[in-house]
Amino acid sequence: MTDRIHNIILGLILFSVSVVWSWLVIDSIPAGFGDGDIGARAFPLMFGLCLGFLSTLLLLKAVFGKANVQTKLDVIANSHSVIQWLPAGLILVEIVAYGYLLKTCGFVIATPIVVLFVMLVNLRIRSIKLISGMSIGITLTCWLIFEKALGIYLANGSWINLG
Amino acid sequence: MEHFFSAFFLSMTPTSIAAIGLGALVGLIFGSIPGLTFTVALALALPISFSLDTVPAIGLLLGTYIGGMTGGSSSAILLGIPGTPSAAATVLDGYPMTKNGNASIALGTAVIVSVFGGIFSLVIMIVSVDLVSKVAIGFGPAELFALVLFGFSTICGLCGTSLIKGLIAGVLGLMIMTIGLDAIEGVPRMTFGSVNMLGGVNLLVAMIGLFAVPFIIEAFSEDPPGTNKIARMSNVRPELPSVRLLSRNIWLMIRSSIIGTGIGAIPGTGGAIASFLAYDNAKRFSKKPETFGKGNVEGVIAPETANNAVTGGTLIPLLSLGIPGDPATAIVLAGLMIHGLVPGPALFMNNASEVYGIYIVVVVAYVWVLGLQLLGIRVFVHVLRVPREILAVVVLVLCAIGAYSIRNSPFDIYAMGIIGVAAYVLVAVRVPITPIILGMVLGPTLENEFRTAMMLSEGKADIFYTSLTVLIFFTLAILVIIFQSLSELKNKKKENENESENIKVSDA
Repeated sequence: MTDRIHNIILGLILFSVSVVWSWLVIDSIPAGFGDGDIGARAFPLMFGLCLGFLSTLLLLKAVFGKANVQTKLDVIANSHSVIQWLPAGLILVEIVAYGYLLKTCGFVIATPIVVLFVMLVNLRIRSIKLISGMSIGITLTCWLIFEKALGIYLANGSWINLG
Repeated sequence: MEHFFSAFFLSMTPTSIAAIGLGALVGLIFGSIPGLTFTVALALALPISFSLDTVPAIGLLLGTYIGGMTGGSSSAILLGIPGTPSAAATVLDGYPMTKNGNASIALGTAVIVSVFGGIFSLVIMIVSVDLVSKVAIGFGPAELFALVLFGFSTICGLCGTSLIKGLIAGVLGLMIMTIGLDAIEGVPRMTFGSVNMLGGVNLLVAMIGLFAVPFIIEAFSEDPPGTNKIARMSNVRPELPSVRLLSRNIWLMIRSSIIGTGIGAIPGTGGAIASFLAYDNAKRFSKKPETFGKGNVEGVIAPETANNAVTGGTLIPLLSLGIPGDPATAIVLAGLMIHGLVPGPALFMNNASEVYGIYIVVVVAYVWVLGLQLLGIRVFVHVLRVPREILAVVVLVLCAIGAYSIRNSPFDIYAMGIIGVAAYVLVAVRVPITPIILGMVLGPTLENEFRTAMMLSEGKADIFYTSLTVLIFFTLAILVIIFQSLSELKNKKKENENESENIKVSDA
């Protein structure tokens, strides 16, 4: 995908965000009472409108702007700007699952599960030694340093709790 | 002189030196791990300080504060993930320096200039405490709004290749920070009835998401965008910056220290604003502005000097007026009061020995930081020898701990993930991330001070043009925008000329 198409898609998405945002702001946040009280609505609305204006500019520039001559450097840069949707989606799922597991099972159980999953699925590592070493090692080291030495509260599970 | 000697003996006891060292070490650890702020470290250190005498107790707290402020640069330089908001500007050139194989030079420079900035600001503080506190206390909401607006004008210099995309990023940062309970009227904004959303998006959580999650995704991708395999570097050498490099940049260090001290003296500002302003100033007056963002050491010197100079600056209103500039100094203030030191003009008369003791403690804390960090560099750079994907697994766990520990809520972990993936997509379509951080740092102050100023003036806009300070900041902001636009136009013209030359060559 070229930069131009990226910018058109980005411009359209951001313009939609600004429209929805501005509508939600008008619909849900009360306006000020005047006499110096500009209210809680003014700034979010102004930011929404600014986003709408800037995304329109981006769109117009992408559609009507002069197409740049693609140099070798641009081709290399474009090849690097390919979005890796699968790893990105997987990480999002893993982070959300980690948060949920921390809430329900606590840090000591959630961490080795997530590390194990990441090493098996994302990194495709099959060495049992490395996987178990990393899962147990990271969990124990973090637990000892943060919970025991520094006194930072690590999550306790609401279903099960160890440590 | 008698007070000074008595303070010197109080500060040089083994207990004092050990307390300062412990504070500096804990601060460094907390500062270098994204999400674990030195404010948390200070909150943990405060109860320990109860059992100590006055000077060691203050030493423990100030050591933690100073260590934390310095520690943020390590992860910013090595991983591109700032440990604290103050270190966000350091990422811009610190991480590219690591990619270029100059990690230890960047780390060494950051430590040395941090110590320079800290001690320089202390000297400024000692000689100008009366004058600066009078000027700083004169900053009302209108002046603060103008200052923040001036800070925001630096966004033009952080936009990278596209001014529109940079401004969009800045607006996105501003929008994110309006989510949650409105600070002035308590109205819920864009919370969709969720209790978790009432607290809004925490700046640190967003920062972890913006910098750490794209790093993790890239490390886990087979063909990551912007690939630069900095991992498994075989030529990682723990080198220190040369004296020549530092002496060549002495004027930049002095300028950045002045910016940091000035910003630090104004309550409600902080290290992040100072470091961005100093970065912008360094870029503007550099002989090679085009190398900024690609690993220019000046881009590390300016923000690191400035954010540490803030430590001296914040002591000015703290000691002379009893006004803490940020949550961290509020905890230091609590520590002072618990030990019977009531900040204000009388402090300098009634507790002169303790005040001199505080000055000496700051110097000792910086000596500790210098020693610990310079020793640590030998260890830190070996992080780069760890395979990038394995490092990413550790970073994932540390970031989750950091995000969770801010409010003990898994909601912050979800927010980190969503913001992080969105940031990854934005980076891939070449939207710069730094303006988002700038928007998030400055957004709440910008809105709150504007609204307070309007309320104070009962809706009359003259509050924004009758104060000389306000006019100065507005003028500076306009000048920054004009100069930036002119240099953008100049660059565009140059690019167009190069392109037409390329076309001619290819036609031929």
